[in-house]
Amino acid sequence: MALSKEIYRELEDIVGEEFICSDPAIMPSYHGSDLGAVVLPENTVQVQAIVKTCNRYKLQFSAVATGWTGSFKKDIVYIDMRRMNRIIEINEKNMYAVIEPYVITAELQAECFKKGLHFNVKGAGSNCSAMLRGHGHLDQSTSGDDRNHLAIEWVTPEGEIVRSGALGSTDEWFCGDGPGPSIRAILTSAVPPGVTPGVFTKAAIKLYHWAGPPKYDIQGLSPKYTLPEVPKNMMARYYSFPSVEKMWQAEIRLGENEICMELMGFNVSMVAANIATCNEDDERIFKRLNKEKKGPGFFVIIAGNSDNDFAFKKKALEQIVREAEGESMKSLEDPETEGILIAQCTRVTASIRETFRAGGAFSSIPIMSQRDLTIKWAIGAGEAKLPLIKAGHIVDDGGAFFGWGVEQGHVGKTEIFCKFDPANEKAKAAVEKWSKEQGRRAFDESYFALMMGEVSDDIKANMCHYDKWWIALTRAFDPNDVAPQGGPLV
Amino acid sequence: MGLEQYQGDVNMCCRCSACKFIPLQHVKSYDFSYVCPSISRFQFHSYSGGGRANIISAGLKNGFNYTDKFLDIVYNCQMCGACGVSCNYAMDMELQEPINELRIKCVAEGKTHPELERVIKTLKKTGAMVPVQGKRGDWAKGLDLKDATKEKVDVLFHVGCLTSYNKDMHKLARATAQILKKAKVNFGIAGDMETCCGGRAYQMGYEKEFLKQAKMNMSMIKKAGIKTVVTACADGYHAFKVLYDKYELKGDLKVLHITEYIDMLIKEGKLKPKKALDMVVTYHDPCRLGRLGEPWIHYKGKKIPGDRFVFDPPKEYRRGTKGVYEPPRDIIKSIPGVKLIEMERIREYAWCCGAGGGVNESNPDFAEWTATERIFEATATGAEAIVSACPWCEVTLSQAIEENESSLKVYDIVELVAKAL
Repeated sequence: MALSKEIYRELEDIVGEEFICSDPAIMPSYHGSDLGAVVLPENTVQVQAIVKTCNRYKLQFSAVATGWTGSFKKDIVYIDMRRMNRIIEINEKNMYAVIEPYVITAELQAECFKKGLHFNVKGAGSNCSAMLRGHGHLDQSTSGDDRNHLAIEWVTPEGEIVRSGALGSTDEWFCGDGPGPSIRAILTSAVPPGVTPGVFTKAAIKLYHWAGPPKYDIQGLSPKYTLPEVPKNMMARYYSFPSVEKMWQAEIRLGENEICMELMGFNVSMVAANIATCNEDDERIFKRLNKEKKGPGFFVIIAGNSDNDFAFKKKALEQIVREAEGESMKSLEDPETEGILIAQCTRVTASIRETFRAGGAFSSIPIMSQRDLTIKWAIGAGEAKLPLIKAGHIVDDGGAFFGWGVEQGHVGKTEIFCKFDPANEKAKAAVEKWSKEQGRRAFDESYFALMMGEVSDDIKANMCHYDKWWIALTRAFDPNDVAPQGGPLV
Repeated sequence: MGLEQYQGDVNMCCRCSACKFIPLQHVKSYDFSYVCPSISRFQFHSYSGGGRANIISAGLKNGFNYTDKFLDIVYNCQMCGACGVSCNYAMDMELQEPINELRIKCVAEGKTHPELERVIKTLKKTGAMVPVQGKRGDWAKGLDLKDATKEKVDVLFHVGCLTSYNKDMHKLARATAQILKKAKVNFGIAGDMETCCGGRAYQMGYEKEFLKQAKMNMSMIKKAGIKTVVTACADGYHAFKVLYDKYELKGDLKVLHITEYIDMLIKEGKLKPKKALDMVVTYHDPCRLGRLGEPWIHYKGKKIPGDRFVFDPPKEYRRGTKGVYEPPRDIIKSIPGVKLIEMERIREYAWCCGAGGGVNESNPDFAEWTATERIFEATATGAEAIVSACPWCEVTLSQAIEENESSLKVYDIVELVAKAL
């Protein structure tokens, strides 16, 4: 036990004997870290008390909700947010939900669907915290990132409870910017380097209209779940285009015309992962779709609020795609496949298939920026993957990338994966090298500056030393240096 | 066999937490989203399927450190297989099997649980997993049933330890016998010669004791020339059908659960439930009849070197797809006046009753906590009764009902059928 008996006892007094552990037996399941202790607070008061204790002893802590793979410093206090898993409120009138960190997307979504509501689901998937900030399949109709957080309850690195926006002056959660304090610049993304230190203990999430059914009537047995029929006034299509330019034309026009519930720039490898129920199927379907596609493409779901609304959206969608010389991939129009894709891609339940299933690990370069620019960068990054594929280091996805526009689509997310076997050291090294080179190229060729991982000094300088400002700002909130950056809510 | 063969599988765990929940596509509410009793009750990630995989992965690499907490994690699990089903919705990797093997390893290395040791001591002494009161065949007194060890029968009805020795459960055996008689099935029992199937010993990690029981049963079956075994206990069904096959002891023995057999008799017109029962019920899928009841897959192959976790020949995973789900439902629907309302967590992603893995011996509070969750879920459907197809479920659910002063009733499916004949 790395913590002194005194500190351990203090933490134990806060959460109770049952909810603290420093036994080496549990450490492999906490990212293989050698933690000081894992504590499971039940409420904000307990979080505050833990954080204050950490400050008193200058002990570092990290708070994590569902928590994918990660790495944590030795001897820190790991605040596992599992017990803070309540949906506090779903406010239909003002269209927001107040949740704690361990409410997963699938849970909140199920409750929202019943009320004809929905929210932004992050690409990480429905198994992840609904409180996570970021982007996902539904960004065209539900926006993304900090637009979707309203008022937030935040335990600062020193243990002060700050309630932002409306919550700071009333008991209402409807706004993140006022009439109480707006600290949007601090309560920022969960993506490094801008990870807010401290702990989000509650947040109001903006809700949107859901035009789909109150629940999907899922049929069949795992792993192949289907819908008995395509839900009324919903349609899913995958369109491929003769060139990236043509695809981009269609994407931007669809965004501007607000036609789509979902426009997800899947590559066919990701479509295959969604449909396939095992790795062998995945390979087969990918090869088939790769032959069938005309060129780069995207996946679209439209949903009408009425027959007329649906008819209009369908007509507009088809016209825009036609004018960009796009074609629907016929094999994916099969109603069973269409149903699978509608259910999986609105609930975002296949992210694990898309990322981890093939080899057990993936590396990604995600970038949120001007979409047409990042697409150009991604073409080069994709081509640079081909030698790795040829060498058998990474899974063959044809050197593809993916992405989507947010709201009207000019700004958006572009991302590129390398899927590999983490036990294969050569593959790991090759992927790391590729990742560094492509990050560097993005800056050198003036596409964007990647601020993840080790960022070189010239990039920092060209970004007005953003990192120094950010560090200075966070240090002001964290004088005892107890809240290391990180804190993945995923 | 052995834990080592699953190194590649446990290394695949990406800590996505899917194993904690029902398959995500099926999450219909906040209230009933979880599928793993252990993580739901004990909260630390280590108690989830993924957490266990992480622990095994590290142990295989660096050695196992059997602290008290380690053993607490190992033994507070019903081995219900739900984590594996949810994992395998998305991932291609074994999860339940390495968890089973970890228990076996613990027992083999003497890291046992005192309560489970006591149960196994009873098994060794009496051939039963439960305290022995009277004789195993007492329930059959006055029924004039054939002795399958001496007389030629088409079907051996294997009753099981709990039904045989718990007097409150004798009604299940008697109802089963009544049904089989009514359908004029040429069946018999082994009576006092019956012995434990060994299934629960396996769940507890006692592989050697399981094998001893399995060999005894198969020896008796072969000697008596029995071709078909029917069990009315999901644990027994799992043992005879899946585990005996896994260890290549089953041969061509046909194994059916009583729900499969009754369903067949009804569909063949040999049995017809006539009396209306006028009740609204919900059905609880026993883990070892449902997801764990699917046939064992004998696989021999190797991972193909390279980027993907794929095998030559392609590996078929047991994902809970081929469990027994329809026969019990078809039986319930065939009874006049009975209306079936489903709970949210059903079939391959049903919530466990709490009894599995020796938990009702090693941690009865946890077993009751798990059953209470199920009772709440059943009550939420508006049903007046929960119907299951395993005596272990009936006993555990009944205890939770009593403890919670619930008005919900519990029936085994054979009780309903017997009433309706």
